[in-house]
Amino acid sequence: MIRFILADLRRLWAGAVVVVLLVALATALGVTVTLQERALRLGSARAADKFDLVIGAAGSETQLVLSSIFLQPAPLPLMPGDVLAKLSKDPRVAWVAPVGFGDSFAGYPFVGTTRALIGSTVSGFAEGRMFEKEGEAVVGAAVKLPVGAEIKPMHGTAQMGGETHAGVVYHVTGKLPPTGTPWDRAILVPIQAVWHVHGLGHGHERQDEQHHEGEVAAADHPDEDHDHHGAIDADAVIDEDFASEAPGLPAVLVKPKTIADAYKLRQEYRNGNTLAVFPGEVLTGLYATLGDARMVLSAVAAGSQGLVAAALVLVTVTHIGQRRRQIGALRAFGAPRLSVFMIVWLELFLLVALGIGLGFLTGLAAAQLIANAFTVKSGIVLPVGFTGEDLRMALILLTVSAILAAVPAILAYRQSPAAALRA
Amino acid sequence: MLFLHLDSLGKSFPGLDNPVLLVDFLAIAAGERVAVTGGSGSGKSTFINVITGLERPTSGKVVWSGEDISRFSETARDRWRAEHVGLVMQDFHLFPGLSAVENVLLPARLARVADTPMIARAHDLLESVGLSRPDQKIETMSRGEMQRVAIARAVLRKPGVIVADEPTASLDVEAGEAVGRLLFDMAAEAKSMLIVVSHDQRLIDRLDRRITLSAGRVVADDLREEVAA
Repeated sequence: MIRFILADLRRLWAGAVVVVLLVALATALGVTVTLQERALRLGSARAADKFDLVIGAAGSETQLVLSSIFLQPAPLPLMPGDVLAKLSKDPRVAWVAPVGFGDSFAGYPFVGTTRALIGSTVSGFAEGRMFEKEGEAVVGAAVKLPVGAEIKPMHGTAQMGGETHAGVVYHVTGKLPPTGTPWDRAILVPIQAVWHVHGLGHGHERQDEQHHEGEVAAADHPDEDHDHHGAIDADAVIDEDFASEAPGLPAVLVKPKTIADAYKLRQEYRNGNTLAVFPGEVLTGLYATLGDARMVLSAVAAGSQGLVAAALVLVTVTHIGQRRRQIGALRAFGAPRLSVFMIVWLELFLLVALGIGLGFLTGLAAAQLIANAFTVKSGIVLPVGFTGEDLRMALILLTVSAILAAVPAILAYRQSPAAALRA
Repeated sequence: MLFLHLDSLGKSFPGLDNPVLLVDFLAIAAGERVAVTGGSGSGKSTFINVITGLERPTSGKVVWSGEDISRFSETARDRWRAEHVGLVMQDFHLFPGLSAVENVLLPARLARVADTPMIARAHDLLESVGLSRPDQKIETMSRGEMQRVAIARAVLRKPGVIVADEPTASLDVEAGEAVGRLLFDMAAEAKSMLIVVSHDQRLIDRLDRRITLSAGRVVADDLREEVAA
């Protein structure tokens, strides 16, 4: 029977190929949407995993998370520097690290931060060592700079018309192992250096700067910002004992000691001036939106699958009409009715099943491709992969196609051989 | 050994006033070789369809060796036909993409009765119909060769009756001659009844009995004179 089906398919190979491709495309569309959405959710959740609590100035929760964890360049309002001082003395806090943004080099964002943050979020170095002095930098795994390279930060980004900071040079001392987060694309420097570059935090004499617009915000007004640019003392020792005189900060990342502490801190710092969020919580809100988008896309994909299914049934019913004589002859020569049913059913089901299989592979490949492009751009690794849910989807699709393939098979089964031969 | 008798047989189609076939009584003995002739629309095809169980008569009985196949279910008639009837048709109904021997074996394989001896018999049959390449694809064969494959397929399961519907009509004289000869040989070998619907006078002349149909009725039933002096 299989040989008969194969001979038949070989004879009608062009039509068979079209059927397989149609089914594959329709399936791939749905699969890509599902895989991509799931990968985006998993990838972003993993990226935010290391950061328990983010505290920033009152404003948009989403923007705070996007800027501090996903390093999306956008102006953030600043909160007073004494928040940092208070947190570093808080017994419920395991560690707290300020982050400062605004500069970039060759498209890589600079993040001013502390050794505590680097030390507690990544394990060890892929190469080199931690920064020890103000003029030293550590790069993420995806930054294409060797240890020992010299980098001159640019204010803002090149696309925004940024300008190189004169006289500021960092030396790369280490490279971090990959983390699959946007931080892989970041150049990490001492926060102190970021302050100094921007003329902030030189002790009490610059206290008046404290409530100035943030570094990132300043990128929008490069000209008025220029007058108080400073320089770094490349050999200065890093001071990470934050006193109350720290300048204004866009965000601090906090590692609470216990979950209870995390909730208490979040409660405490959600007041008029500051905003404390769990990144996971903000992401959940974003996923809801993402889920809605996926629903729409899935509906579109399901619609296209339905259309393809309808087209297939139409084509095969017509095809069975054209093959009436052949089917009639099979019966006349003594093929049992059930064999005729099986031949027609198997022939169509094989094609559709092949299409579904190909569609899943194509969908996987497409999602992987999109994910890779996304990773190159953002540093976030999107884990694309099948789960039990996809297996269930595949089984549903196969079941539906098995039922659909039965329609022409039943027609063939019921056809009278004498009438078919007369036609 | 099969023998046939038809009793008060009638077949009509909805929408047609007159029945297309009306046979009060007809008996064909085992091993008999019969020609069925008549103009187009005379009911020849319906006659074939009804006696082979492809169609159920509207009334009457089709009794093969005591079994009335008109009372069988469709599935049972299919099974009975597969076992007892070897069909040869005007346009062969061979399946492209398959080889000669695969075509011979296809119905038996679909019915799951093709065992090793039957496969060997298929090869032997192809050889005895004069085809030396059993693996040749059917679509590369001449029409005469195709009809010989069809005959091999018809006799594979040693049917009690071989029914040939215009077996030579689409062949040239020479190929027609060969096919006619083969039909006789094969029927003789298996001691099968042979029923041939034909317009081919040379073929008809070689058969023992000639039944002529007109408007669905038997209008003549002649035994051939054995030896004209």
